[in-house]
Amino acid sequence: MDAKGSMLNVRTEDQSFHIRYRMEASCLELALEGERLCKVGDYRAGVSFFEAAIQVGTEDLQVLSAIYSQLGNAYFHLHDYAKALEFHHHDLTLTRTIGDLMGEAKASGNLGNTLKVLGRFDEAVVCCQRHLDISGDIGDKVGQARALYNFGNVYHAKGKSICWSGAEPGDFPEEVMAALRQAAEYYEANLAIVKALGDRAAQGRTYGNLGNTQYLLGNFRNAVFSHEQRLLIAKEFGDRSAERRAYCNLGNAYIFLGEFEVAAEHYKRTLQLARQLKDRAVEAQACYSLGNTYTLLQDYERAIDYHLKHLIIAQDLNDRIGEGRACWSLGNAHTALGNHDQAMHFAEKHLEISKETGDRSGELTARM
Amino acid sequence: EAKSSAVSSSQILHADGGEMEPETMETKSLTDYVSKMHAGSVM
Repeated sequence: MDAKGSMLNVRTEDQSFHIRYRMEASCLELALEGERLCKVGDYRAGVSFFEAAIQVGTEDLQVLSAIYSQLGNAYFHLHDYAKALEFHHHDLTLTRTIGDLMGEAKASGNLGNTLKVLGRFDEAVVCCQRHLDISGDIGDKVGQARALYNFGNVYHAKGKSICWSGAEPGDFPEEVMAALRQAAEYYEANLAIVKALGDRAAQGRTYGNLGNTQYLLGNFRNAVFSHEQRLLIAKEFGDRSAERRAYCNLGNAYIFLGEFEVAAEHYKRTLQLARQLKDRAVEAQACYSLGNTYTLLQDYERAIDYHLKHLIIAQDLNDRIGEGRACWSLGNAHTALGNHDQAMHFAEKHLEISKETGDRSGELTARM
Repeated sequence: EAKSSAVSSSQILHADGGEMEPETMETKSLTDYVSKMHAGSVM
């Protein structure tokens, strides 16, 4: 090659390097903006930036793995689980190809969570196990704890997914109880690690889910203990949503313990927090629970008061099923008080709504 | 017996038997990655 030719080659290589450099920088800039948007909760916009970053492309496989992972998480938060599955799967394949063990563990964890939501529990278990195994191999205690928490969630969801309509907590088929017992074991194993790590936030989450599992197993005293722990930690962090969840779950457990006054106090705190958080659907649920609790206490005036509050919110939210339930409960409370005209009015309203919503059992109850 | 006293316990509750805590998703931060790269190149 003559001098002129080799100069031309150098220039072409320079240009190609420059273009690649610009593309890398541009891809990273787009992805960083996507990350920023997702951090502030704007997942839809975040997805657009990550997709644009992928279009530009990158040769840095760590960057590509982070983009796939964050895209998967963004779609997960947007409840587009098919897309979340697709990107977490891309991330898993990539991390395996490049031999990035920590990255593979994280991709497996995310894939497991997504498969769980999709009800594909057996595949989710495989992913959780991979997450747990790798975390153990590389001595990552935080990763191990997270894998155990995810495992607990998978078994909890599996237990609940099996048909148990009509049965009361603690009285489910053996298959359900076995899955729930397994969930409780994983949560306990997680707790041992996160306590040793002094990770209070993780303890809070696990106590919350362990409480729900103990509740479904019919161990209501244990459920109360776990939810009390959850409540304590929520208060430490000033996490009012978690506090509200704990109060509601405590109310539910006290109902089954037959301590209706205590349950009512917890539901009242739920109602207060729901109003502070401006969560109308939860406010409606709390009113409904309070109405039913006062019915159990045979304080029908108060029951009517809360059921009416529930009815108004259900109407505002255009929640016909909630409206139907409120009418049914109001009909019962008025019957108990001997207000037959009012009872008839709400019974007819309940029948009308049951017909409209195709609620056959509601319709049959209404006709009784 | 009044019909209203026959509220079964399960009717009190959330249909799905308790409110769950959120899932914990693993994160791969690009900001941290860039910081590490930058620290590496400075060193």
